[in-house]
Amino acid sequence: MADGRAGGSLGVPGSPGGGGSHDSGGDQSPRSGVREQDRFLPIANISRIMKKALPANGKIAKDAKETVQECVSEFISFITSEASDKCQKEKRKTINGDDLLWAMATLGFEDYIDPLKVYLARYRELEGDTKGSGKGADGSARKDALVPNPGSQVQLAHQVSFTQGMNY
Amino acid sequence: MKRPGTYSGILSGGISGRTGPHLLPLARIKKIMKKSSDDVKMITGEAPIVFSKACELFIEEITKRAWNITLQGKRRTLCKEDVASAVITTDIFDFLVNLVSDSAKSEES
Repeated sequence: MADGRAGGSLGVPGSPGGGGSHDSGGDQSPRSGVREQDRFLPIANISRIMKKALPANGKIAKDAKETVQECVSEFISFITSEASDKCQKEKRKTINGDDLLWAMATLGFEDYIDPLKVYLARYRELEGDTKGSGKGADGSARKDALVPNPGSQVQLAHQVSFTQGMNY
Repeated sequence: MKRPGTYSGILSGGISGRTGPHLLPLARIKKIMKKSSDDVKMITGEAPIVFSKACELFIEEITKRAWNITLQGKRRTLCKEDVASAVITTDIFDFLVNLVSDSAKSEES
């Protein structure tokens, strides 16, 4: 959490809870437990994906979007916990993409595996193409551009150190 | 196993530009991952990327199943109850049953 604060004090106008979080190790609000923006993916993104799945004349009630929003967070936790158990059993400290694929297959989501592999392969290709342009996830890239001071360099380096492979 | 053909629309939308590289914010995904258990300390950069796609597939699937229920009721607006029914009638969504029934009870507040 000190991290997020540091970002703020540098005058980074980054979106609150947006793409630009740096370390979030156990990052929880000092105020009231867990902030909504830490628990859920943005409803606008969820809504967009839901709409794509429906015919053009289909409408979606707000409460349905909120329910799906909760379900998605639960899905992430469910899969992550299974992957984490596996890592613990194998005495590894870092959860990787393959652990998640394994967990999904184990928990009944084997239909997702093939599309995910395709997605990852394409991502790795793209990443190979743009490697060296030196940007992290989109949020940090934006911030970096906005804040040309040494502090951001440190942040960027920090982010890169544990999000290697997140640039595109 | 299903071929990825049905998903190719998202694939092209998701990674090749139109909608940006990922439809869901990776930092947020990472936060949710880390919150799922105290044992989750480190994750590779690829892990949230896997989830950004997996969540799309998940949202798609749950939405389509819910929409079928909407249609069965001869309605045009997908509502929360449709999502709940989709969860209850789909085996792989069993882990969500408590969530949808809890929120059905405690909602409308």
